Amino acid sequence: MKTCIACGMPMENISDFAANDPGKDYCVHCARPDGEMQSFEEKKVNLTRFIVRTQGFDENVAGKMAESMMRKLPAWKTFFE
Amino acid sequence: MQISTRQIQKTNTRKKIIEAAYRIFSEKGFSVATSVIAKEAGVSHGSIFVHFPTLNDLLVCLLSDFGDKMGASLHILTKKYDSIESLLEEHLNVLEEYEAFYSRLISEINLLPNEAKSTFVMIQSTVAFHFSNIIEREIEKGAIKKLPIHMLFNTWLGLVHYYLLNKEFFSSPNESVLRRYKVVLLSTYLNLINQKSEE
Repeated sequence: MKTCIACGMPMENISDFAANDPGKDYCVHCARPDGEMQSFEEKKVNLTRFIVRTQGFDENVAGKMAESMMRKLPAWKTFFE
Repeated sequence: MQISTRQIQKTNTRKKIIEAAYRIFSEKGFSVATSVIAKEAGVSHGSIFVHFPTLNDLLVCLLSDFGDKMGASLHILTKKYDSIESLLEEHLNVLEEYEAFYSRLISEINLLPNEAKSTFVMIQSTVAFHFSNIIEREIEKGAIKKLPIHMLFNTWLGLVHYYLLNKEFFSSPNESVLRRYKVVLLSTYLNLINQKSEE
C-alpha cells in the first residue's frame, strides 16, 4: 500500500489520493485545492494548527512537533539537510 | 553470493536485536543494559554495537518502527468505523495489542530522547485525526456536547492513560488492564460526552 510522502498516511482508496489520482504520491489532505502538493511552509502551518486544534498543545511546541514529524517524510527530507 | 548471505545474516541479527529490545523494554523499561538485550536476542554483546553504536540509536530505531506499526494499525482499523463508539473501541483494541510497550512509553516519555516525543505525538495525531473527523460531525448533529475538540480528545486519553499508568492498582500483574476495563471506560466516557446522557 502506498503511503503519502508528505504526511505518512496510508492511501488505500482512490479517494485518499490527491485529485482521486492513484498515480499521485501524496494524499488528499496534503493537496491544495488545485491538486498540487502543499509547500513545506503550508504543510507545517497546517500540521501545527491541526495539533493545536485536536490536542491543545502550546503553539510553539506544536510547531516543533510538526517539524519533527515532517523530518521523517520523503517529501520534506531535503529541507532538513 | 557470499556477500548476500552475509547481508541476510546481518539483517536477521538486526531483526533479532530489535525484537528482543521490544520485549525487554516492554518488560523492564528503557534504562536496561545492552547486555540484557544481547542475551535475550541470543547475540554477542559486541554485535549490538555493530548495528547500533549507542543505546540511543537502538531506541530511536525501535521507536520509529513502533510508531509506524501502531500508526498503521490505528489507521486501518479506525478507517472502517464511523461512529465514535466503534472508533474508541478500536482505539482500545490497538492499545491493548501494544499495551506493555505503550505503557512504558507514556510512563518514561520525559526521560526519553526527542524521537520518543515525536513518536508519541505521531501516534496521538493519527487517533486525533479520525477522532476529530467523527466528533465534529456528531457535534454538528447535536449528538455530542459542544466542547473544544482537544478537551474531548484529551479527556479520553487522560482516562485511558490513568488506567495504563496505574495498572498495578487496577488489575492483576499479568492481566491487560484495558481488556478488563474496556466496557466501563467506553460507556462512562460516552455518557459524559453525549448530549443526552443515557438514563
